[in-house]
Amino acid sequence: MTFDLYLIIGSLPKMFEGIGLTLQLLFLSAFIGLILAVILLLMRLSLRWYLSIPAFLYTYVFRGTPMLIQIFVIYYGLPQFKSIQQSVLWPILREPFGCMVIALSLNTGAYVAEILRGGVLGVDKGLHEAGKALALTTSQRFIYITAPIAVRITLPAYSNDVISLLKATALASTVTLMDVTGVARTIVAKTFAPYEIFISAAIIYLVLTWLIQTGFGLFEKRMSRYVKQ
Amino acid sequence: MDDTRQRPIILLENVCKFFGDFQAVKNVSLAIYQGQKVVICGPSGSGKSTLIRCVNRLEKHDSGHIIVDGIDLDDSTRNINEVRKKVGMVFQQFNLFPHLTVIQNLMLAPRLARKSSKVEAREIAMQYLERVHIPEQANKWPIQLSGGQQQRVAIARALCMKPQIMLFDEPTSALDPEMINEVLDVMVELAKEGMTMIVVSHEMGFARSVADLIVFMDFGEIVESNPPEEFFQNPRSERTKLFLNQIL
Amino acid sequence: MSALSGWWGVLFWGTVVTLKVFGVALLLTVAFGLLGATAKLSKNRIAVALANFYTVVFRGTPELLVLLIVYYGSAVTLTSIAQSINPAVKFLDIPPFWAGALGISLVVGSYVTETFRGAFLGVDPGHVEAARALGLSNLQTFIHIRIPQMWRLALPAFGNNMFSVVKDTALVSLLGLEEVVFAADVARSVTLKPFATYSVVAMIYLAITTVLTLSVMALEKYANRHLEGAR
Repeated sequence: MTFDLYLIIGSLPKMFEGIGLTLQLLFLSAFIGLILAVILLLMRLSLRWYLSIPAFLYTYVFRGTPMLIQIFVIYYGLPQFKSIQQSVLWPILREPFGCMVIALSLNTGAYVAEILRGGVLGVDKGLHEAGKALALTTSQRFIYITAPIAVRITLPAYSNDVISLLKATALASTVTLMDVTGVARTIVAKTFAPYEIFISAAIIYLVLTWLIQTGFGLFEKRMSRYVKQ
Repeated sequence: MDDTRQRPIILLENVCKFFGDFQAVKNVSLAIYQGQKVVICGPSGSGKSTLIRCVNRLEKHDSGHIIVDGIDLDDSTRNINEVRKKVGMVFQQFNLFPHLTVIQNLMLAPRLARKSSKVEAREIAMQYLERVHIPEQANKWPIQLSGGQQQRVAIARALCMKPQIMLFDEPTSALDPEMINEVLDVMVELAKEGMTMIVVSHEMGFARSVADLIVFMDFGEIVESNPPEEFFQNPRSERTKLFLNQIL
Repeated sequence: MSALSGWWGVLFWGTVVTLKVFGVALLLTVAFGLLGATAKLSKNRIAVALANFYTVVFRGTPELLVLLIVYYGSAVTLTSIAQSINPAVKFLDIPPFWAGALGISLVVGSYVTETFRGAFLGVDPGHVEAARALGLSNLQTFIHIRIPQMWRLALPAFGNNMFSVVKDTALVSLLGLEEVVFAADVARSVTLKPFATYSVVAMIYLAITTVLTLSVMALEKYANRHLEGAR
């Protein structure tokens, strides 16, 4: 079994193009997902059952089903309905890219909501009481006390979720998108050299993972200035 | 000490508090006047912390009335917030906001709850930091301060809201012995300036020298309440005598 | 739902295959996890390095990619080996079932390594010392003291890891394994009702994960029963 180095080098340019798409999926979904997660969190924490229960069900469904199925439901399933085809969202839903972003955002939104909820619950109860004693309103306590502390607590878990999101982008290749994995699969289909190509792709993901971890590590360090070591 | 014989600044009438089936506070009635220093003592679980936490609604009393400076403490958010502005609290665990510097800790509530400007809030904050003798710590993180310093910051933080009444929930119980005095000294100064204070504490030396009234609670009830002389010299109930024997 | 009539049988058997993959992958995952955790905690520098390499590589690589490498890579290797022996052989692969289970367990195994490592570190060293002082050998201490305590600590995080295994089984359909997602793909192309078909598959998975969650909750209660009376 030979290890064809020239093949790897020759394929690199195409794989780099794939990185562009991978990163677009990552950043877009992470951003939308985060906004969604905050909304879900507030719903979940609410005392009104018609807000907290739907939020709970949403997270339950999206965390309990495979990402692949979620993609298939959106990509294959939604175009089935005339009402979708005629709706405003159709230009987005028609494209695999749009479907992928939506699927990723909905999915990461559910996970991050749970992470944030864990963070909020992790804030020392005494701090809430101090806030109350100082006559701060509920929203003031949430914005100035709970949120900043919860963010710091959840950073490690959140960075893990971003990495999971990165890995999930690889599923874009199942709906014809040319992300890193998509490009790799195409090249392998032509060249029958799975080891060289897929391992190169893996290395690309590992580098991206390392970059994300390092970035978060720096951010965590900064936010933990005031924490007992 | 002078009781201004107007209406009491805090009136507790037949207050009861349950935690599930357990009754933590049993029919407590107490009148506290402006300028009075009241020390509440008693064994663990006697309901004393629960009682003062009802005064600023950190616990919700199940029956009876609590009236603070004329405001009836009920479910209305408006009343609750009004009461909390008049009542300052110092906690056993300090509860300083770890993500804010000392000065930011002090400025937060005046800016948000009293809508003070940044400049005003800072002035008031520095003023009270001076009062508790640690103005140089203004820009430090709470974690960088000793326990005694943190508690003094906590006192200053409560004072920045210009309360009429200060509640202290075992303020020195979490401190190493060598730091207890620096906190008690600040509390004594506060008392001398005329602040109305309710202090839950085991520090009997403090009680004897500063309190106008000592209230002994056991099993959720007020067993005895008397000025310090009477309380220490002539305890009336057996339970009080037992308690005094254990701690003195 | 009526759109799927006639397909329930196929979906059922697909689900059975999915559960089989889950079972095998789970066993392999635990094996890799235990291996990795003990390697990381050992004093042997090479073992630690290998284990670190393992966790870093497999926690940073997409599951799909790992499955593709394992399946197609092994196929290429096996085919060339087979062809050197018998030139008539056109194609030899590891069945997608095993390639899939192996791929999944390699990836989730790296997460479980961390879960188990954390749990082992959480076992009170005092207990281990007591066991040694009583004369138990290293192996006996490991089996009777460290593992029982460790799995109680590992349960919550391990429950999450098991979730991952369940959901990753869907990816094996992409290797051609005829499990439930594959069955759904077929059903969809015939009935032309993708939404209903995949929604049903989603619900099947939801049912599986619900059973899993309840089991983990029950196990956690059982594992912690000796702590319940504490005041």
